[in-house]
Amino acid sequence: MAQTARSVARQRAERARLARERAARRARRIRTAWWVVAAAPAFVALLVLIRVAIPDAPTGGGADSRQLSSAVIAALRPDPSTLDSVGRGQGVTPPTPIADQPPLTADGKPLVLYVGAEYCPFCASQRWPLAIALSRFGSFTGLTASRSASDDVYPNTATISFHGSTYVSEYLAFQGVELATNERQGRRYAPLDTLTPEQEAVMNTYNAPPYAAQAGSIPFLDFGNRFLQTGASVSPQLLVGLSHDEIAAELVSNPDGPVAQAILGSANAFTAALCVLTDGQPGEVCDSPAAAAYQAEVGG
Amino acid sequence: MTQVARTGPAGRGTTATRSDVAPAWAVPASLALALVGLGLSIYLTIEHFTAPGSLACPVGGAVDCAQVTTSPQSEFLNIPVAVLGIVFFAAMLALCLPMLWRRMDRRLWQARMAVAGIGVLFAIYLIFAELFIIEAFCLWCTAVHLVAFGLFAVVVLASAMADPSPFDRR
Repeated sequence: MAQTARSVARQRAERARLARERAARRARRIRTAWWVVAAAPAFVALLVLIRVAIPDAPTGGGADSRQLSSAVIAALRPDPSTLDSVGRGQGVTPPTPIADQPPLTADGKPLVLYVGAEYCPFCASQRWPLAIALSRFGSFTGLTASRSASDDVYPNTATISFHGSTYVSEYLAFQGVELATNERQGRRYAPLDTLTPEQEAVMNTYNAPPYAAQAGSIPFLDFGNRFLQTGASVSPQLLVGLSHDEIAAELVSNPDGPVAQAILGSANAFTAALCVLTDGQPGEVCDSPAAAAYQAEVGG
Repeated sequence: MTQVARTGPAGRGTTATRSDVAPAWAVPASLALALVGLGLSIYLTIEHFTAPGSLACPVGGAVDCAQVTTSPQSEFLNIPVAVLGIVFFAAMLALCLPMLWRRMDRRLWQARMAVAGIGVLFAIYLIFAELFIIEAFCLWCTAVHLVAFGLFAVVVLASAMADPSPFDRR
């Protein structure tokens, strides 16, 4: 009897010991769990602190002179026969016609509005064909060399900037707006040009659905409210690793190469659209094979 | 509700009918978080595939979803991370079904914690990318990250508080 009582007592004690051990293990697990759960946000907080503490590195396109070389200036006015031979080119997205909109004008002439930013690699590839096409109807002064941001896709894409430039033409008006530089200022790029209320109204209307898939993306081009180009007409991928002079050399000396095919082909598409705005003036441009290459798309 | 029906070796393949293995809050909290995360991931996947053609830049700022959802870091091994988010939250939704919270299968509980851990590690990588590579934030992405953290916390704490614990040797 006494032996049975001792056995029961031992079993009870053993059960109590096991229960205490199980409770202790559970308590340890819960403590560990809290540490694990706290570690993740603590690590993120540490990352945020490091990001806030380190200064932003300069992101501009390096120490290039802003002055365009004579080779680049010449390449922006290619031989008309070269443009004729390129025709439609390759890898070109032509502008989209829009119907029944009030004409966009300035100084009594059809207005071409470009909105972009120096940091933007797609704006970088867009400026080449635009400047070439516009140079067939007038002339630029004050164009400068620029590069897209070094910390974005297609970094340091060589290009020109419309900031501070002047365009003179008897057929067209042109406004080139570069919203920001390629230099970081905090989390943004340093602001550059400001949209006028009229330009902002155009952006709000035509750089938004239904005309654009997403409001406010750049580059944005409005050809007199007759044609729109949202997003680049040629990919900056083609310009990766090329300097300004190398791009110029491709345009002048290698018309069958992918760079010239895209940029000069796109310039021809823009030329076709511009000829619609100018009612086919000047004739030597608008009657050329280059301008005719995209006639089907622009309906001129 | 204390009857336990054993269908296999101790600690594995064992079904407990008692509903208090995991804390009571674990089931609704994990299911709600997984559903919210799944919804956000579906939205971000739609955004990823309907964003404007890749030949455009968003007008950049610190909080800019398009800059984040169209960045090179928006894909991992050529798979959009938003799609990976759908896969992750769908897996977590399945692992957090009430019947699975009641199962005393150690491997199941380990799998749930492992998947939740992978989710939180990936969220940390994406936060790192937003902070140091893209330098822009997407509030929708941040919401997904918070949900992944929350889900991880619920799973880890519920696993630690489970009583009886599927991790105890028998």
